[in-house]
Amino acid sequence: MDIEAMKNAQDIQGLIRHLDHGKPDVQRRAADALGSLGEIACEPLLRPLVYPQVNVRIGAIEALGAIGSPRSVEPLIHTLITDKSHEVRWVAAVALGEIGDKRAIPPLLASLKDDNRYVRYGAVRALEQLGWSPETDEERAYYSLALQDWDAVKKLGKSATSPLIDMLKVHHPAMRARIVEILGSIGGAVAERTCEQVLRDPDENVRWSGVLSSQRCGVPASRLPLELSKRPRTGPSVFAAIILNFFFLGVGYDYLGKWWGFVVLEIYMLLFLISQLLVGLVTTLIMMVPVLSVFAVQTYFMAKKEAALAG
Amino acid sequence: MVDLSNLFGQKTVDIEKLTADKDISGLIKALHSNDMHTQSEAAKALGSLGPAAMDVLIRDLKKKDKDHHLVIIKALSEIRDPTPVPVLIGMLKDESSEVRWGAAIALGEIGDSRATEPLVTCLRDYDKYVRYGSAFSLQMLGWKPPDDEEKAFFFGGIQDWKAVGLLGDSAIPALTTILHDRHSIVRIKAIEILGEIGSARAIPALMQSLADEDSDVRWAAVLASEKSGIHLMHLPRSLSRRPSLKKNPLIAGFLNFVLPGLGYAYLAKWWGVMIFEIDIFLTVWLWQTWGEFSFEALLPIYFLLAVHAYYITVKMPETPP
Repeated sequence: MDIEAMKNAQDIQGLIRHLDHGKPDVQRRAADALGSLGEIACEPLLRPLVYPQVNVRIGAIEALGAIGSPRSVEPLIHTLITDKSHEVRWVAAVALGEIGDKRAIPPLLASLKDDNRYVRYGAVRALEQLGWSPETDEERAYYSLALQDWDAVKKLGKSATSPLIDMLKVHHPAMRARIVEILGSIGGAVAERTCEQVLRDPDENVRWSGVLSSQRCGVPASRLPLELSKRPRTGPSVFAAIILNFFFLGVGYDYLGKWWGFVVLEIYMLLFLISQLLVGLVTTLIMMVPVLSVFAVQTYFMAKKEAALAG
Repeated sequence: MVDLSNLFGQKTVDIEKLTADKDISGLIKALHSNDMHTQSEAAKALGSLGPAAMDVLIRDLKKKDKDHHLVIIKALSEIRDPTPVPVLIGMLKDESSEVRWGAAIALGEIGDSRATEPLVTCLRDYDKYVRYGSAFSLQMLGWKPPDDEEKAFFFGGIQDWKAVGLLGDSAIPALTTILHDRHSIVRIKAIEILGEIGSARAIPALMQSLADEDSDVRWAAVLASEKSGIHLMHLPRSLSRRPSLKKNPLIAGFLNFVLPGLGYAYLAKWWGVMIFEIDIFLTVWLWQTWGEFSFEALLPIYFLLAVHAYYITVKMPETPP
């Protein structure tokens, strides 16, 4: 059945089913149709807010935003706070701005600290729509950070320090690197300590930003190498390489990124099999242990080198 | 690839002697020299040999050898003889972007007006090198864009973004074409200009870019979309259509069921292959001791491993957009 017909028949359940249609265009038209039905569609649209399909949740929220009923505000706030999908949280923030109910302001303020940049951006725009504007310097800092307006953050100076440090929790490495850079230019004891701490960041760009900022804050250069050495190692684990090579000679080499790892394994397996047929399993195992030990030692040195290269 | 000629050292080539002997194939070989000076001396010499050399060079352009093509195209752009223009025009459609780029440059150097039309077409190439080379060659041919739309393609080719932006709505077809570039930085630039232009005509292209494979391109598209008047409410759905980097839980489960352990290897667990090997040993050993029955004993274990791999894949966090 086509969307227009369902809309005329007020087939709300049918339209909700089409929110997960294979074609994005149909999804959008179904959402628009639901939104145009007004208040009667509001109640039935609250249940899909917890459906497992992301598309359905997004479509329902789009429709609720268009309907603009005050009854949907609380459920949308719940979605904004709890939903796992960032697209859903994002569209919920936008919808709350569209509905224009002031109850949404405190949860949207909390969303300025969301891990996801799209959610933060949506929350800022929604807050503006609700007539909110930042009053304290702290609010101004979160506001500018959500817009990724770095110059504005920098102008706030020391009062932006604690929001900046708080936002270092985000997963986006480029954002963390930028924050560290700004902290370095602001300076001060707290910023200094933080710049030193980020030397342990898992991301190379953030660490480098930390080194430059630490120097600018006046952290003695002699303290940096030790701090940097405490970073999590992303290279191959030496232990894993040894274990793999000791039990399955070759797989450890494969793990270290050597293309011939499995060739070694196949040769080893073949020799193992032949030896087992000739002298039996127990003798083979006894013979293999010293050989494998030698390989384990060699793997240790090889993996050490690889790990050092990987940083 | 190993270059054997480096192993034995380059022989010094006597261009003068080759020229005196009219040794065309020897001179063409000299074009492959690693020494820039030898290369251009050989090109000059081939140019001095007239139509006979030109015929051989053009014939070689019809062979299927990309590196050879590039060497000859470079020589032709130094010789500047108009004879190979039709062949070079044909090469603007080569599958290798380096060959297309080289041909575009050579046509500009030769300066034959027959190349104008094909070069204008090349301003729409998806490869930025080809667009760049074509724009400069068109400039050398004295070509003037007839209208603002063509002007936009031209400025997009020479990467003059400011000039593209000033053209406003007329620049949209050119910018939409550039959105197909493989290089994300170029795509971002095009999107930023589309945002500055802020026209509703850019909406379809921007909607497409919201599902781009690169996260920075997507972010740029969001900022530009708002300026073009796309309602913010419509953006999350477009973004959710981006290519997912998540591993497929069904594949992980299937692999673990038929080849226990490889499902974990697919999820990049270092011990995945180890489990696979252990399973092989175990199966062989059980089969020797229990016979047929061993399969029935192992099947539930495989099933559990499959469910486990499926479950941990589902639980894996999604990469942030």
